[in-house]
Order: sequence, then C-alpha cells, then structure tokens
Amino acid sequence: MRLVIDERRCKGCNLCTLVCPYRIFRPGTTANRRGVIVPELDRPERCANCRLQRLYGRTLCGVCQMICPDQAISWEEEGACEPVKVAIEY
Amino acid sequence: MTYADWFREDRLPHIYCVGCGNGTVINCTLSAVDQMGWEKEETVFVSGIGCSSRAPGYIVTDSLHTTHGRAIAFATGIKMANPDLRVIVFTGDGDLAAIGGNHFIHACRRNIDLTVVCMNNMIYGMTGGQGSPTTPPGALSTTTPYGSGEAAFDLCGLAAAAGANYVARYTSYHVKELTRAVRGGLENPGFSFIEALVQCPTNYGRRNKFRQVMDQIEYFKSHALLVQKADRMREEGKKIPDDMIIIGILARRNRPALGVRK
Repeated sequence: MRLVIDERRCKGCNLCTLVCPYRIFRPGTTANRRGVIVPELDRPERCANCRLQRLYGRTLCGVCQMICPDQAISWEEEGACEPVKVAIEY
Repeated sequence: MTYADWFREDRLPHIYCVGCGNGTVINCTLSAVDQMGWEKEETVFVSGIGCSSRAPGYIVTDSLHTTHGRAIAFATGIKMANPDLRVIVFTGDGDLAAIGGNHFIHACRRNIDLTVVCMNNMIYGMTGGQGSPTTPPGALSTTTPYGSGEAAFDLCGLAAAAGANYVARYTSYHVKELTRAVRGGLENPGFSFIEALVQCPTNYGRRNKFRQVMDQIEYFKSHALLVQKADRMREEGKKIPDDMIIIGILARRNRPALGVRK
C-alpha cells in the first residue's frame, strides 16, 4: 500500500504534520496549480499502515486520515515492485 | 467498506475553511457509523443551520437540512414516524445551545433514540464570528470586542442533567477517542449526546491568539483533562484550572428510551 495525498482535495492546513508519529508529513514549500501548499511526504514507506495493513487486515494507525478535514489522505494499492531495504526508525 | 464510501465524492472538496475541524468530526462520525455496519438506506442525517450543518450534504444517505435550531425537532418526527430508521443529528453550538436550546433539553428529557453530534466551535462561524452561548469568558469575537463577559454554556452538563442516556465530550484532536465515543452513542439506546470541540481558525482562532490552525489543536491537546483524572484530582483536593476542558464519557445510564421498538 502507498500513502498518497489527493492534491485536488488538500487545502494545505498541515494538520497531518502534527499528528503523524513517524513525522512523514512535512510542510510543503511550493504552491501547486490551485495555489495550495500541499505537505510533502518524507519517506512514506515508513508508514506502519503501508507496511502492515495487509498483514493485519485492518487500518493500523490511520490518525492522519481521520484528522484530515478534507478527506485528502488515503492508501492506494501498488503494483508489483522489486524489494528494497527500508530503515525503520523506532 | 470504509467510511470513505459514505461520502458523496462528486460534492467534495467541501466548502469548509482551511483547517476547519468539522471535516474531522464528519470523518469520525462516518467511521463510527461504518463500524456499526448500518445500511445507507436505514440511516438518516439531520442538521439545522450553520457551518456544521452543511455536513449531511456531503453524505450519501438520506438527509434533512432543516430550519435554524429545529434539527432535533425534525429528527424526533422522523424517529417517531419510523422507529426502524437510525437518526443522527449534526448540529453546531449556535444551533443547539442558542436557538434550539429548548428542543435540546426536551429531547434529553424524553430520551428519544437519537445520536446528536454537536460540533462546538465556540463562535457563530458562518455569519462572521459573533459570540455564541459557548464562547469562553474573555474570548474576543465581533460582538464581544473587549472579551466575553459571560460564563460559557456547559452543554454536556446540561444534557446529563436533563436526562440524556449517554453524554461524551472530546475535541477534534482526539480522533480515535471521538470515533469510539460516537460509536458508544450509536450503540446506546436513548438520547446520546457527543460534544466535539472543533477549531475555527477563520473566525475564532485569528481573534484569539491562535494564528495557525495547529495552535488551537495544540491548545486542545494541552488543555484536555480526562474525566477520571479530574475526579481523582477532586478527591485529592487539588484544584482543576478553569481553562481545562474535561473530556471523556461524562454520563452513561439506562433510562427508558422513546422511539425504540419493544
């Protein structure tokens, strides 16, 4: 699973930067076409929900998705990819 | 099925301001409804007038956008006409506490099987930031330019005293707890009242030293006090500071409910 921010819905309130335990969301720097400064994702593969949602069969943390007032954060299915080594911070 | 299936995708993004907490409360409520496994055909959302009351317009189920303050009156009618429907009321503080105050206390007294989610932003947000009955003392608004001199309304205390079966208060920062509280309200027969304090960066925050959206969320985070801890502090004789927000499930009882099939 892959963490994505829907740029058509995000209004740039940066609430997600406050709640993520891994600090994956960072305040953005450049405005998009609509003039909204969408947060940037800092190594989104660290997200617990991305890694373990399939294994546990439920949404694990999901606080960013719940607190997002604009319903812009979601997880989408990924296609086949080659395995990469990921450093996990505790 | 996830809570996202309950949204009307064609209506999103909604009209709420940047960082408005109402969207968060809609997420939590829909998530709780989704966990209950209810059908979309048997669920009805009712709302009055205000920012918060635009919420049912973004939800796929049948909904009623009613006159100011009368959301609970309309919801009572729905519930009495067809007790099989699950009725959830979205309302704001101006809608519920100011103009619909009497409907609210009498719904609590009758203990109708409704779930009322009150998004309390402590101000009249839609009309330009006038002071509401829940504006905290000292807070600035367009009608209280020198600071509100009145005491704020404790909606949860009112609901519990008037006889509601389930009363809870959380803020828009406590998303998991709020979801659980709404779920508890949906499960509980009888009148369930959930007060969700939300941030209003446009009209409340910018006049009250919460310049950024995060500032008010940080305030909720640091000033929330769980009711069990507050009780413990009272037993120990410690003083609870006046600006603390007591959160948690404040009342849960088993009075006979109206509008439930025997």
